[in-house]
Amino acid sequence: MIQTVKPSTKKRKIKGDSVWGYTFIAVALLVFAMFTAYPVVSAFIISFQEYKPLGSTWVGLENYKDTFASELFWKSIKNTVIYTILTVPFALFISFAVAIMIIPFKKWLQTTFKAVYYLPAVASGVALSVVWLWIYDPMKSGIFNKVIGLFGIENQNWLGSSATAMLSLVIMSWLSSHGTSIIIYLAALLGIDNSYYEAAELDGANFFHKLWYIVIPFLKPTTLFLLVTGIIGSFQVFQNAYLMTGGGPDHATTMVGLLIFNNAFTYFEFGQASAQSLILAVIIAVISLIQFKFLGNDVEY
Amino acid sequence: MKKRLNVLALILAVTLMLSTLAACGSSNNGGSTATNKPSNGGSAEPAKDTIKALLPPVSGNFQSNFDQMEKEFNELYPNLTLQIEPASWEDMTQKLDTQVNAGSPPDIAFMGSGGISKYLQQGMLMDITDVITDEMKNDFDAIPYDYMAYQGGQYGFPAYMEVHALGGNQKFLEEAGIDWKSVQQNGWTYDEFREAIKAGVVQNADGNGNTRYGFVFATAGVASKDYLQILAKSAGMPYFFDADMKYTYTSQNFLKLLTAVRDMIDDGSMPKELSSVDAGKRWNMFLTGQTMITGKGLATFENSANLNNAKIKANDGSAVAGSIEAQYIVLPVPAFFGNDYVPNTVVDGYVTFRGKKEPTQEHKENVAKAAYFLASGKVAAQTNNDLFSAHITETARKAAESMEVNRLPENVTAVENMLSHAVANRTDIPVEKAADAIKIETEVIVPKLQALLANEITPQEMYDAVKAAAIKTFGEDGIVQD
Repeated sequence: MIQTVKPSTKKRKIKGDSVWGYTFIAVALLVFAMFTAYPVVSAFIISFQEYKPLGSTWVGLENYKDTFASELFWKSIKNTVIYTILTVPFALFISFAVAIMIIPFKKWLQTTFKAVYYLPAVASGVALSVVWLWIYDPMKSGIFNKVIGLFGIENQNWLGSSATAMLSLVIMSWLSSHGTSIIIYLAALLGIDNSYYEAAELDGANFFHKLWYIVIPFLKPTTLFLLVTGIIGSFQVFQNAYLMTGGGPDHATTMVGLLIFNNAFTYFEFGQASAQSLILAVIIAVISLIQFKFLGNDVEY
Repeated sequence: MKKRLNVLALILAVTLMLSTLAACGSSNNGGSTATNKPSNGGSAEPAKDTIKALLPPVSGNFQSNFDQMEKEFNELYPNLTLQIEPASWEDMTQKLDTQVNAGSPPDIAFMGSGGISKYLQQGMLMDITDVITDEMKNDFDAIPYDYMAYQGGQYGFPAYMEVHALGGNQKFLEEAGIDWKSVQQNGWTYDEFREAIKAGVVQNADGNGNTRYGFVFATAGVASKDYLQILAKSAGMPYFFDADMKYTYTSQNFLKLLTAVRDMIDDGSMPKELSSVDAGKRWNMFLTGQTMITGKGLATFENSANLNNAKIKANDGSAVAGSIEAQYIVLPVPAFFGNDYVPNTVVDGYVTFRGKKEPTQEHKENVAKAAYFLASGKVAAQTNNDLFSAHITETARKAAESMEVNRLPENVTAVENMLSHAVANRTDIPVEKAADAIKIETEVIVPKLQALLANEITPQEMYDAVKAAAIKTFGEDGIVQD
């Protein structure tokens, strides 16, 4: 639009458009400020206090010192790292494999499979845990125990012994919701132009060559995204540990999220819980930065 | 046109935002305690007031009676409204803790008296000593009434006093040659108990390779604190602290108790998967005949067993899958190593809370009236009858005379016998010490017990871990050393 009027009205017109922009953002910004930014700032302040609802006392860095000296905190970090290493790469691999298997199908069949794989995300985590508790029943009549009984293995105390408790949570994660990742991978796969495959076939590439040289490089941004969000989510894991084992036996499955929850809502030590949650946030941020540095140098979103 | 669309879209966005905030608004209004109009000097009519109560399903029919209770309370005090918010047992603590930490708890919450020290430390409990009338106080039995007191203040009224005991299957007990009537009257020692449960083990009891165990105790989930707590009471450690305020779980009795726990599993009398047995599983095992004795057992389990028996007899398919008819027998916990039998008596009741604002004297009186209404008379009579638990107020005893109860008379006598051994509540333990003891229990004792039950650590290792944590918290002088 050609502006032929005086400069003052010209400014007003542009301002008019951007005002709408800011107004729309303001709504989301307000929600963000109230429910995300304010609690983070509040947690930062509480982490320097011994919090009581009727009046807190300032204790400085004592909460942080206690946290770093606490053996349980380091154990929970170790548990969380082990859990992350065991679950995230496997989840990526499984969702990638399933996406590759779905992509050759017709459109309606693809949609059906996508819906089926996405269904667990809709189910309540508590309801899922009740079923899994039943599957992991420690007596001979438990479902998993019946299955391994077929191979002659003695019935295991899945959730009650340190050796198998972490494994049980990991298996539960392997067999659970990959729906989101599958849908994202499918969307990315559909974005690869067919001409690449045709060119590769002309050069005599087989399925694995195509996979290695075309699909995986094209999917690098998606993989990085899923890896980063997967690790962030896995570091914050809480629900399964809380519902299935309660952190036991003997803290074998106590994750950092569960530890923070216990400190805050069981022992009412909000100051220490805030300190631990901020330390966790810093750890996650550092890991994400490292991932972007090493894997995402050439990735543009 | 474009502008109108913009405005419309903006209104929609703001509406969305406001709907997320609507939840905030209602919970803020919920908790304020000082919103009543002050009554005028010359006015004869008492001011209107609302009392909020957060109540779990105390007994089977409790929550379905809420409307009736609110109506009856309003008839009794026309200017007062009782507003009851229901909660499940699982989320009761969560809901209460969230409201307490937000500074706007309900006026009354139903919970165990053991939690009083935790909330007192937060400063959120309301002392109602000065608004309790003599009539109210004299209605209650002395021992349970004192359970709701702490360090000089009275923080509510007790609803019932329950004994945590064990429950046996009459047929299996008699098959194993156990004189349960004598046990009910005279108790048993640990050695007698150990032999008895060994005798109760039957290999391949159902023909499918499943063993019938002598003894099962729930140790997983919400029941995880029960096992040691209940046994420790009769092992010379009735409280966390002795008369000199020293932590008692570092004595040799505790080590002997841990060894006994391990021995009962190694004997084969208890399942080796004990650490995964939760409250639901231990009851299921009792009903399906997989165990002779189950724990912990409350008197009300007899009611559950009778109901299931009726369903089996009627053959209507709603009975527990694979269950058998079982007559529930109340049995006391054994006494360990020559110590006296001390029953784990638990008093649950209606605890009174305050918000951030100081409550008015009038509101305090009204809350006390509401708590008394819930803890005595018809409401208490109905609840306690449903729970098969003893009445602790005169008014409830009177009201219960006309109500019917279907219990085995030997069980009634057994419970009364156990209650007669009840010890008074300790109200002299400082809140910080009590909170520290609870923290050691949750952070060290329960997790280590799970490992002990799974045979991953020895009793000596667990004892050492508890001792180390106790020394760290209370110092070398703050623990019992024998």
